[in-house]
Amino acid sequence: MSSVTQIAPTPVAPVAPRGRGRRRRTRQLGWNLLGLLVLAVMVFPVYWMVATAFKPGQQILSYTPHWVPTNPTLSNFRDAIHQPFFWNAVKNSLIVVSAVVALSVVLAFLASLALAKFHFYGRKAFIVLILGVQMVPLAALIIPLYILMSRLGQIDKLTGVIAMYLTFVLPFTVWTMRGFLLGIPKELEEAAMVDGATRFGAFVRVLLPLVGPGLVATSIFAFIQAWNEFIIAYVFLHTPAKQTLMVWLASFTTLRGTDWGPLMAGATLCALPVVVFFLLVQRRIAFGLTAGAVRG
Amino acid sequence: MKARFLVAAVLAAMLAVAATTASGGTSRTQADKIVVWLQNDAQNGWPEAVALANSNFKAQHPGVTVDVQYQSWGNHLQKLDAGLAGGDAPDVIELGNSEMTKYMAAGAFKTLTQSAFPNNKTWLQGLKSSCQYNGKLYGVPYYAGARAVIYRKDQYKGAGITSTPKSLAQFMADGKKLMKKYGKDSGYSAIYFPGKYWYAAMSFVYDFGGQIAVRKGGSWKGTLNSPQALAGLNQVARIAKTLTRASRTTDEANPQQALVFAKGKVGSFIGNGWEWPYALDEKLGDPALAPVVGAYPMPSHTPGKIMPGFLGGSDLAVPVTTKNQALAVDWIKAFTSTAAESEIAKAGNIANTTKLLAFNASNPKLAPFARAAKSSWFVPTSPNWANVENANVLQNMLVSIFTGRASVKAAANSASSQITRILNTGA
Amino acid sequence: MASVAESEFPLASRRRRRFTRQRIGRVLAPYALLAPAATAIGVILGYPLYLLVKMSFEKYGLFELIRHKGRWIGTANYAHILHDGEFWRVLARTVVFTAVTVTLTMVLGTAMALLLLQVSRWLRVAITTGLVLVWSVPVIVAVDIWRWMVDYEFGVANWTLTKLHIGNFIRHDWFANPWTGFGVITALIVWGAIPFITITVYAGLAQVPQELLEAAAIDGAKPWAVFREVTLPLLMPIFVILTSLSIIWDFQVFQQIWVMLDFRPTSDYYTMAIYAFHQSFQISEYGLGAAIAVVMVLFMFGATLVYLRQMLRTGEVQ
Repeated sequence: MSSVTQIAPTPVAPVAPRGRGRRRRTRQLGWNLLGLLVLAVMVFPVYWMVATAFKPGQQILSYTPHWVPTNPTLSNFRDAIHQPFFWNAVKNSLIVVSAVVALSVVLAFLASLALAKFHFYGRKAFIVLILGVQMVPLAALIIPLYILMSRLGQIDKLTGVIAMYLTFVLPFTVWTMRGFLLGIPKELEEAAMVDGATRFGAFVRVLLPLVGPGLVATSIFAFIQAWNEFIIAYVFLHTPAKQTLMVWLASFTTLRGTDWGPLMAGATLCALPVVVFFLLVQRRIAFGLTAGAVRG
Repeated sequence: MKARFLVAAVLAAMLAVAATTASGGTSRTQADKIVVWLQNDAQNGWPEAVALANSNFKAQHPGVTVDVQYQSWGNHLQKLDAGLAGGDAPDVIELGNSEMTKYMAAGAFKTLTQSAFPNNKTWLQGLKSSCQYNGKLYGVPYYAGARAVIYRKDQYKGAGITSTPKSLAQFMADGKKLMKKYGKDSGYSAIYFPGKYWYAAMSFVYDFGGQIAVRKGGSWKGTLNSPQALAGLNQVARIAKTLTRASRTTDEANPQQALVFAKGKVGSFIGNGWEWPYALDEKLGDPALAPVVGAYPMPSHTPGKIMPGFLGGSDLAVPVTTKNQALAVDWIKAFTSTAAESEIAKAGNIANTTKLLAFNASNPKLAPFARAAKSSWFVPTSPNWANVENANVLQNMLVSIFTGRASVKAAANSASSQITRILNTGA
Repeated sequence: MASVAESEFPLASRRRRRFTRQRIGRVLAPYALLAPAATAIGVILGYPLYLLVKMSFEKYGLFELIRHKGRWIGTANYAHILHDGEFWRVLARTVVFTAVTVTLTMVLGTAMALLLLQVSRWLRVAITTGLVLVWSVPVIVAVDIWRWMVDYEFGVANWTLTKLHIGNFIRHDWFANPWTGFGVITALIVWGAIPFITITVYAGLAQVPQELLEAAAIDGAKPWAVFREVTLPLLMPIFVILTSLSIIWDFQVFQQIWVMLDFRPTSDYYTMAIYAFHQSFQISEYGLGAAIAVVMVLFMFGATLVYLRQMLRTGEVQ
């Protein structure tokens, strides 16, 4: 364990085991074929969602599946966007997500600093607390949470939802950040100070850039959690104009069955921002999560 | 300086938390606004009725806005419970008529004065009784739905069936003819009857004189294992075995049965008034079927009679948490006026008053459903009935029967004892 | 200038240990840093958790809910669930389900991470992008997609299996039999969880020093032996954490089953979270639901004891 902990946080690109000549090439081909198969299986459900979104209603409900939308149509997307309150939902989701990401990153950074760089009384208790908090089933907490939120006057308010999401993502984010701070070699901090930097300067110039990937990993986690949550948003936000995208998405399932075309179009639209966010920071994710995990 | 930076950062973060948790605090319930929760059926099916009610209400109370928030059946009670716990449930709420008793018994609704509402003397009896508990009125009937058999005229003719069946025996025989003619296609159903469609299945029980439960001397007893109920369930089992290839574990809504019907491999299904036009929907259904679709009331095992159907429907109630009872009542009045109810009936429903039954009878596409509405059954009126529904007792029983996991008798025995236990809990 | 900030650098403060404001700052600083997060968790979760535990000792039905006041009944709720055969069946089902799902997630996720090491670079980028796509699909959407794929009438799964001559799956009802039903649900959850596991493990593999692997290979160790003797021990901390988190997440599975079965799962599909929800919202016995939730938390604490101990131990070391 300790040997991993010692590794400097620089991801080394894994090198494929070396083989020789043709044997190696055939083997590579075999692995690639397997890789393609796995890729196809993993991505198929996502493909099916997007393909369904582009199909006209008659093609969707069909006894013989149409693998490719032969007459692609945007009508499902039009229907989805014209469903009442779409733009409100987009706006609300963006507000909630950015607030949760910003707040959780700041709070998690401060808390993890305490956990990683200090010894203090109650430290273990806090660590057990942040793990234990994740174990409480949300379904059972709804009524108690609602009672609290209504006493605080936070029902039907985005601020209330933001506060709740924040507490649900904090345990994980604090933990991930702590791993990062532990991973920063003390020598680097010292070196910075030897160079004559002030302590605060060392903090900003050395610590912050190193923690960067951790901040990214943390914000992704917070982003996904806040973007995808449904039950809290559904129960605590009453006014349709205040609801988030996930609640809006649920409105496609009515007594008249599920309207698959617009639902899949709406789902595609909802997944899009996450994909974009992901791809923007993708290179950082992998490393971020491990550094946090290795030092858990 | 550095210290100040950190302290400032900590303080700022704490303030942010404090702000998110403690800001606001103004109460939602102001006298200039009332909140109404309707199910999204109204949103899709009869928005005209809602608009009419709102404009009439506005004329009466110019300073008050009406905020209609649409809910879905899957989890609206979860939201109501939370609202009751927090003391901020809406001012008016729609509930399914079989959901009412539990909430009335727990004291969730304000009592209402019957004479204050339009058409209160001619309310549908079935709906009215779902609004009453211990002799007091807690709700106002909103609308009802009746089911009839929606069928393919061309397939019936093709199978040599010359007239719609007048008895259950004939219905079964016709089903056999349809299967013989079209059933080689392994996807064909003479009647589309999914396993969890308990409203339709229980109608067979009531037709043979059975009941789900009876009340004897203050306590309930599940009676699905009575000989009469078993006779009805055996008919359902026969349909499951010989006449349908619908899913044994889904209900009528998923996949939506009218849309499956529109695909052409279904001879008939038991549906609501709105499902007929829905099967012909331009985008999801098949408009070309329009000339060959018809409907007739499900026949009883007693020739010439109609099988009693489940009187499904909705009521409107005023939760105890409201501070605007008078406004809430006025809105309900506007929404259940004859004009608004006519709009609701137009959308393929049964209005809340017998005065409007003629309205449906004159429309050939609604008449079979209006006739079916005359003979109906309703769930046991126990505060615990909702728990039987929520524990899926009837669905579990039907799925066992449909999948052959248990015999009809064993499944009915187990369901009866569960129903007895649930209905008598806490009594 | 005594500062709170400087105490973040233990090395610096170790140099001069004096009884000054620095020391006081050093004692108070961690609490100040922790305060915002702790306050947020304490305020938003502390009081509801207290209510939840209190509720678990009360008769708290719809009647009590409306009056905002439960009636103290001691441990009756706990006695009730522990004597209820249904509770033990649900618990056993949830444990088996969690074990299967977590095992599959970990094994397949790790296998894919190892596969990533073997494929060509372009394919590695493609697969990573694919994993990111899968990861970005919201749970609710994922359930809808899978529900749509295994649809009884129009599902693509039944059609494909039939065309591949695996059997006649036309109008195959996956949920008629709870085993195949749970099979679909497990597939959905594993599919959704693999990206997180694969990407994390892959990044971990990337940090295994090449020299160690090469040295082992030169010593004549087979690839599997290298993996077992070198890679696995190094990645052990990651595995312990990922497994523990997966246990916590999968033990509480709710949404996937709930939505997949149209908000009305039959009792063969009850897991602990659904059972707690059912007792709370559907039967309106909020006290019982709370007691089930408390038992669930205790059970999970037991199940993740290994992780907890490791966490506390590393806490001591550093």
